[in-house]
Amino acid sequence: MSTSADVSALGIRRTQMRQAAGSFAKRHPIIQLVVVRVALGVLTLFAVSIVIFAATQALPGNAAYAVLGHGATPQRIHALELRLHLNRSLLSQYGSWMGGVLKGNFGTSLANNESVSGLIGGRIENSAVLVFAAGIIGSLLAGLLGLAAASRRDGWFDHIASVIALVITAMPEFNVAIALVILLAVNVAHLLPAVSTIPPGTHAWDNLKLLILPVATLAIVIAPYIFRMVRAAMIEALESDYVEMARLKGVSNRRILLVHALPNALPPIIQVVGLNLLYLAGGIVVVEYVFNYPGVGAALVDAVSNRDIPTLQFIVLVLTAFYVLVNILSDVIALMATPRRRAPR
Amino acid sequence: MSVITRRTFLDGAAKGGLALGAGSLIAACGSSSSSSSPGTTASSSTTGATGTPKHGGTLTAGLTGGSSSDTLDPNSPVNNTDYARVANLYESLVWLNAAGTPVYRLAKEMTPNSNATEWTIRLRDGVTFHNGKPLTADDLIFSIHRVLNPKAPGEAASALAGIKAGEIKKLDKLTIRVPFSHSYSTFIETLAANITVYLVPVGFDPKMPVGTGPFKYKSFTPGQQSVFDRNENYWNSPLPYVDSLVMTNFEDETSQVNALLSGQVDVVNLLSQDTINTVTGSGKKVVISPGGGWNPFTMRVDQAPFNDVRVRQAFRLLVDRPKMNDVVFGGHGTLGNDVFSIWSTEYDHSLPQREQDIEQAKHLLKAAGQADATFQLTTADIAQGVVNMAQVFAQQASAAGVKVKLNQVTVTDFYGPNYLKWVFAQDYWYYQAYLAQVSQATLPKSPYNETHWNDPHYTALYQQALAQNDSAKRDEIAHEMQKIDYDQGGYIIPFFPPVIDGYSPKVGGIIQSKVGSSFNDWNFEAMYKMA
Repeated sequence: MSTSADVSALGIRRTQMRQAAGSFAKRHPIIQLVVVRVALGVLTLFAVSIVIFAATQALPGNAAYAVLGHGATPQRIHALELRLHLNRSLLSQYGSWMGGVLKGNFGTSLANNESVSGLIGGRIENSAVLVFAAGIIGSLLAGLLGLAAASRRDGWFDHIASVIALVITAMPEFNVAIALVILLAVNVAHLLPAVSTIPPGTHAWDNLKLLILPVATLAIVIAPYIFRMVRAAMIEALESDYVEMARLKGVSNRRILLVHALPNALPPIIQVVGLNLLYLAGGIVVVEYVFNYPGVGAALVDAVSNRDIPTLQFIVLVLTAFYVLVNILSDVIALMATPRRRAPR
Repeated sequence: MSVITRRTFLDGAAKGGLALGAGSLIAACGSSSSSSSPGTTASSSTTGATGTPKHGGTLTAGLTGGSSSDTLDPNSPVNNTDYARVANLYESLVWLNAAGTPVYRLAKEMTPNSNATEWTIRLRDGVTFHNGKPLTADDLIFSIHRVLNPKAPGEAASALAGIKAGEIKKLDKLTIRVPFSHSYSTFIETLAANITVYLVPVGFDPKMPVGTGPFKYKSFTPGQQSVFDRNENYWNSPLPYVDSLVMTNFEDETSQVNALLSGQVDVVNLLSQDTINTVTGSGKKVVISPGGGWNPFTMRVDQAPFNDVRVRQAFRLLVDRPKMNDVVFGGHGTLGNDVFSIWSTEYDHSLPQREQDIEQAKHLLKAAGQADATFQLTTADIAQGVVNMAQVFAQQASAAGVKVKLNQVTVTDFYGPNYLKWVFAQDYWYYQAYLAQVSQATLPKSPYNETHWNDPHYTALYQQALAQNDSAKRDEIAHEMQKIDYDQGGYIIPFFPPVIDGYSPKVGGIIQSKVGSSFNDWNFEAMYKMA
């Protein structure tokens, strides 16, 4: 008797909870989105860590061979494998790494026996500065130009800007970087440093002069995509009925552009800015190489060639987390910029 | 012109115009008991063509290579930047001067007994470590034991394998006696090479990298940069000249050269011949050294098809050496004859220069039944010009109708589990004297016997040479061994590549060198900044 009553009471409570949750989700679609996406993101990180670990096992050799290089005699390989615990089973290697991660310890680099987070932390900061500086500058620049082009559609400025954007889209960032170095550092004018070797122990923002060329390169590379999206979205908004209505009412051009059209054009723009941030996270590898900039790009290449699995895992997880975060953020912001999708249904 | 060619270098050396080895030459002095001739100072290389050396300033070097596995441990340098750091923090008993001749450095004297089974080593007096501690015999014993530590053998462990580690005896504060399990008359030449024993204080910890070298540790970030300060108490004063030495890693030659051109670094190393004009055309200078290092093709003599000496000789005859030298190094290399250690006193210059002979090569291949075979050459970007050499080899072979397929792998794969097992591949070596090189490469027990050379007669000759304190007699034996290398060996040595380094005209004290590594074996202590 009492048990069945309990069960039915539990059943009722569960239904109530589900309804409550359902109505909560309806009332707070943003929070629901964030919760689900973060949970999926964590799952993604876990899956990625397994894939990376498995992939490194498919590569020939191990950290002992890679570190000793030209001096890799069998005796030295054997001694180093013992010291690095490379002779343990794969499962136990992965398990002890994962155990450390859950405690917030990302392990020790196989290449030089220092903590991975200490080793890579500075480089991640350097790369992050590059990505965000280029992202912000590139987006603002492209946004302004896009607004200007859309507001005088098919005018001379629109045509010139569109052609230039198309040309830059066709150029790989390597060429842009080299062109800037030739123009501003080495051959034509000697205004800026040709390489951006941030001294270890200093922050990227302490060396503004060294940042100019790599940031400029990346900003130039992403700007055309954002420019084209801003232009297209604004043109679409400017052709809408409510803009026509505003014009008929005699609202100023400037107010139409910024208050009526721009907010409605924002969602696709936010998405393309997000996409370009993600692109930058990969695109910096080339730019870091050209400018000898100490970022994650070189560290990632090093980690692969050194078979330095803990370092590789750490960098890949940070990059994955960045992808997940930017995706969530751009969806959330786009949602917030779309009142009709945000309202409770 | 800022470019000094090999010819002018050799002329200059012959006239005594270049300060090659102001220190006494250990091996070249006298024909008998050469090794016991007294050595003096190791400073050999401070004659700048421009101005008198002065103290002060910071020297910035952009060095190629390096990664997050970079190290300051003198036991295990791997890449260029490691060698550069290690060679400036620490010192060895002997080293090679710019002429490629061993001279004493931290050793005052090294004397063998009559059959070279026991060496007495006396240290230079008055040398202190960076932490102020004087250098003593205990430190030397500690350093040797550290290299031989079976749990973490140093790179030089194989060169010291004959030492009876437990029986090393301290004779006084600065002198030790080292017994060997066999004769070892080439001990000095071996220690003078790139792979050597650096002296560290008792209880040394690589986290506190204390040595006796011209520069002392200030900071180091693997894969990026190291900053060293002048060692005010350096025994070989007035060296070093600069107050601070900054070495930055570069992955890419273009950015390395750009850094030199834009004035961000003072010196850059290991340039390719393609950038010489870019550098000199922009008001900077290059120094082209006739290095004794070598980039051989390695043929495994125990594996088909190279177990047939006719195939090996045919391959040696396929190479157009001057052409390959022109294409890969702009002709700045020194032609090779398939025998290593060209600058060694033990090198036999009387062997006729081998030249391309396609007819003979084809004849030999046909006789060996390999006329229609396809050969696979494994290559990797392990050193400047190596991959280009492989490409030129494949082209020259195919022009002669011999099919050579390239198998290009990454550097990590090259040194992976197949390292020293590739059937037909390449390698790079720095310069060392002939018999010292033999111990590393062409004996059954050599650690890097990539050709799997195992010729009992050759090995017996080597053992004889080791027991021979008379250097003239050693040379005779070495020549006999080189005849075997020349007629049957597994190496193709088309030329000895040049070492091309670039520098700002504001830097003095840069000279040419035969040692095969950059800047006369990272001799930054001899460089100075001009106002």
